Amino acid sequence: MDDVVTKSKDVTLLEVLDRVLNKGVIISGDVVISIADVDLIYLGLKVLLSSVETMERLRGAPMYSPYQEPT
Amino acid sequence: MKTEATERGLVYLYCVTGEAPKRKDGVRLSDKPDRQTRAFGQGVYCVSHQDLYAVVSNVEESEFGEENFRKNLADLEWIKTRAATHENVIEDVMKHTHVIPFKFGTIFNGESGLKAMLDGHADSLKVNLKRLKGKEEWGLKIYCNMEKLIDVIPREEAEITKIEKEINLSSPGKAFFLKKKRDEMVRNAADKRINQYGQESFELLRGLSVESRINRLLPKEVTEREDTMVLNAAFLVAGDKVAEFVQAADDLKAKYRGRGFDFNCTGPWPPYNFCAPAEEKS
Repeated sequence: MDDVVTKSKDVTLLEVLDRVLNKGVIISGDVVISIADVDLIYLGLKVLLSSVETMERLRGAPMYSPYQEPT
Repeated sequence: MKTEATERGLVYLYCVTGEAPKRKDGVRLSDKPDRQTRAFGQGVYCVSHQDLYAVVSNVEESEFGEENFRKNLADLEWIKTRAATHENVIEDVMKHTHVIPFKFGTIFNGESGLKAMLDGHADSLKVNLKRLKGKEEWGLKIYCNMEKLIDVIPREEAEITKIEKEINLSSPGKAFFLKKKRDEMVRNAADKRINQYGQESFELLRGLSVESRINRLLPKEVTEREDTMVLNAAFLVAGDKVAEFVQAADDLKAKYRGRGFDFNCTGPWPPYNFCAPAEEKS
């Protein structure tokens, strides 16, 4: 159970951003940064949605359906 | 007694708990800004309402007011430090109590705005708190070094071994076409393996989880890694299964390491992936 479990610092920032910016309960507070602004955040991160799509297309079909409902 | 700033200023929400939240050191979190636990320069405190507890801090209009917030979101360094603060506050609370984490930048006008939200969502928050009790979120990201994978494949695929022998015995002209064919076979074999290993690993870990989900892949610009992300998954694991889950992830990492795969299993995380009330799922 060595390196697998540790939240090493480098990994953590990416992991944190991947969760904190994209997940968590989304309730519009009084300061409304709408869902559309998620893309704004992603622009800040130089992540264009299209680049994700392109990558998946290049690799052929996505591994799984992009979104899988929990059972 | 509330100060005017608390009533009228911006209140930043980190997470909601079903029992009184504690500070990292185990002391109950105050209902007034606590100087000992700071976030964004202000003390963290707790607002109790509807038998729920909201962990919050006040934030400055100059930083989190709608217009300024929007501007700040274009600043990657700003996002990095603030997102880390958001996570740290929640992780401290999570040490003692299970939580429902909110998305970065959930902000209300004063405590009244926050309480109005709690009024509207109390039932679903309570249902979800109950559902999440005793469970942990774990994440698995699998990366693949394509060059390394492509390097091991010919030795393991009989057909590719065969065509390579043919190439060695062929004239340059014929070898050229055979090489093209071989490269295509190798690429297909690589894709097949990535899918197969990813699917098998996901299914195995899913079997040890209560819930699971697959998230979109992050491109290299974000991961800043040489290798390619091929799976981004999250699992909700019951407390008594965590050791088994981690061991299984560890075994998978060891199993595929020699083939160019890197398994990154991290946790426990606040249950970001498993907390959204149905109607607010992104």
